[in-house]
Amino acid sequence: MKTIATVFKKELIDSIRDRRTIVFMIIIPLLLFPLLFRVMSSIEKRQAQKQRVKTLRVALVDRGNAADFVSSMHGRSGLTLVDGVAADSVTAMIQSDSLDGAFVFAESFDQDVAANRSGRVDFYFKSTDDRDIVENRLRKPLDQYEKTLLAQRFNRLAIDSAVVDAVDVRAQNVASIEERVGKAVGGMLPYIFIIFCFMGAMYPAIDLGAGEKERGTMETLLTAPVNRFHILLGKFGVVVLSGLMSATVSIIGLYIGIKQTANIPPEFMDIIMKMLGWDTIILVLSLLLPLTIFFAGVLLSVSLSARSFKEAQSLISPLNVAIIVPAAIGLMPGIEMTYVTAVIPVLNVSLATKEILAGTIQTPHLIAVYVSLIGLALLSLYGSVWWFKRESTIFRT
Amino acid sequence: MIEVRNVTKTFKLSRQQKREMGSAFRGDSVDAVSGVSFACQPGRVFGLLGPNGAGKTTALRMIATTLRPTSGTVLVQGFDTVREPERVRASLGFLTGSTQLYDRLTPNELVRYYANLHGVPRGDYERRRAEVFQALDMNAYADRRIGKLSTGMKQKVSIARTMIHDPEVLVLDEATSGLDVLASRGIVDLIRRARDRGKTVLFSTHRMGEVDQLCDDLALIHRGRLLYDGTYDAFKREMQATSFEDEFIRRIEAAG
Repeated sequence: MKTIATVFKKELIDSIRDRRTIVFMIIIPLLLFPLLFRVMSSIEKRQAQKQRVKTLRVALVDRGNAADFVSSMHGRSGLTLVDGVAADSVTAMIQSDSLDGAFVFAESFDQDVAANRSGRVDFYFKSTDDRDIVENRLRKPLDQYEKTLLAQRFNRLAIDSAVVDAVDVRAQNVASIEERVGKAVGGMLPYIFIIFCFMGAMYPAIDLGAGEKERGTMETLLTAPVNRFHILLGKFGVVVLSGLMSATVSIIGLYIGIKQTANIPPEFMDIIMKMLGWDTIILVLSLLLPLTIFFAGVLLSVSLSARSFKEAQSLISPLNVAIIVPAAIGLMPGIEMTYVTAVIPVLNVSLATKEILAGTIQTPHLIAVYVSLIGLALLSLYGSVWWFKRESTIFRT
Repeated sequence: MIEVRNVTKTFKLSRQQKREMGSAFRGDSVDAVSGVSFACQPGRVFGLLGPNGAGKTTALRMIATTLRPTSGTVLVQGFDTVREPERVRASLGFLTGSTQLYDRLTPNELVRYYANLHGVPRGDYERRRAEVFQALDMNAYADRRIGKLSTGMKQKVSIARTMIHDPEVLVLDEATSGLDVLASRGIVDLIRRARDRGKTVLFSTHRMGEVDQLCDDLALIHRGRLLYDGTYDAFKREMQATSFEDEFIRRIEAAG
């Protein structure tokens, strides 16, 4: 135990003094979310504001056959009406941003409206994102006009508006806000934890395996009268700690990021903050611990088998994909925790974390996840010990 | 004491290594050391000499337990290197060109680390550290990062690391490599003192002058085989060439 602690302490000091480890373990996980949230929020806010206050250029293509609507458009703030636009040039003008929108009325529009029929109007706009601010701003006068027409018709025909609303649907979603937010936002959190856990463990694993071999310090270490298994456990400890540290720091970064984002509704904020409570974090970290041991075993085995730091990096890079894919599958709707998904590494942690955050995790599933993760962790530890004890591995440079 | 008894080390070759050996090479393996036997006695300095690629480092790695002999036996202080490797390493101070140091640690931290791995008690460590650092004139840079030190300074740190646990057996390969005359003299003195205190010293060098200064016994190794094993005095008596260096070259060339 004393030897393991000695090796662990030295490897930790050595790693902390390496700027690259600090960047991967602390700087990136801590700053990524606050910076990302700040940049995204400010860009989005600026864009939305621009769309909201911008004066829209609109063409009304009629031949005096939509008189009421056209007159309702005159004098509206934020709109400039463009005259003399032909119906066949509307599309091209909107595409080239000469116009923001256009209404092209059918020849019989006023007649149809007066005869209680539908008056046809083609509404042209350009929308490339989900926010549809321009579309909504232009649709508003049209909706208001339709509402007025309907009220006049109901009045004229002496009909109650309930006649056309045959069914009054009042949707009641019984899922708690925690569940809804948990499944939606909670899907992202395990993804973040897992990726950072792997990323944080990756650099020290390469440095303490292939890096030591390349620099010739491994042979020096192996001349000390200590069991190789104990040396490996000391190194393992630092790799695991780095992974967990990186994941924990990413949670802190996420917390700071959320706190500084102003436009999150308060009820959502309460739920998210509740999710990031100590009890949940500890439960999630207890899942990440065996997963990180599994990562450490795999990473150290690959690192020890590599001839150089560079070779280890190129061997480990594809593993990133192997981690991201199952972690991302956990984000997909319809993928639920079962006894099958509970034993698939990475995916099981992703799903279990999602369920923990939503408060819907079932104990037998959680046990299956722990058993599978501990099994894999032991297997990967055994694998790295096997590599470390091989003469050809140590002197393969 | 070190006893090397009829030791052979065979390395299996990969396909790429076989290609690198040239078209004339046949077989799947090479013997880096072949049937080598010698003994290093306490209170004496044993010089292991040979040209580059002779098998010296392989032989020394087998003594240090980092490589296992394919056949034969190596005993250090009576402990078998295969059966009791940790007891062998506990009594050994091992230094070769391939045993490097951690650049991000200071000499103090590094030497302390190896003292801890060797289980040196705190009091003994303080005394040994003061003694070795003084002898090697290392105190001025004891708290500077090793990565910032010169080659000579690093070599001294390596020697301090090798000697901090006061091993009964010292295996030093190219210990004075990269050092100036003054620093080399300091190390030669340190080796002499170790010998005078009854330590077994196995010393390998390319500096023929150091052989004359230090060695009591001598072995010549070439292409994995032993060409000479005896006392330095006997070697000198049997010399056919006029200088030690010329005799060394004559024997290597005669072996083919």
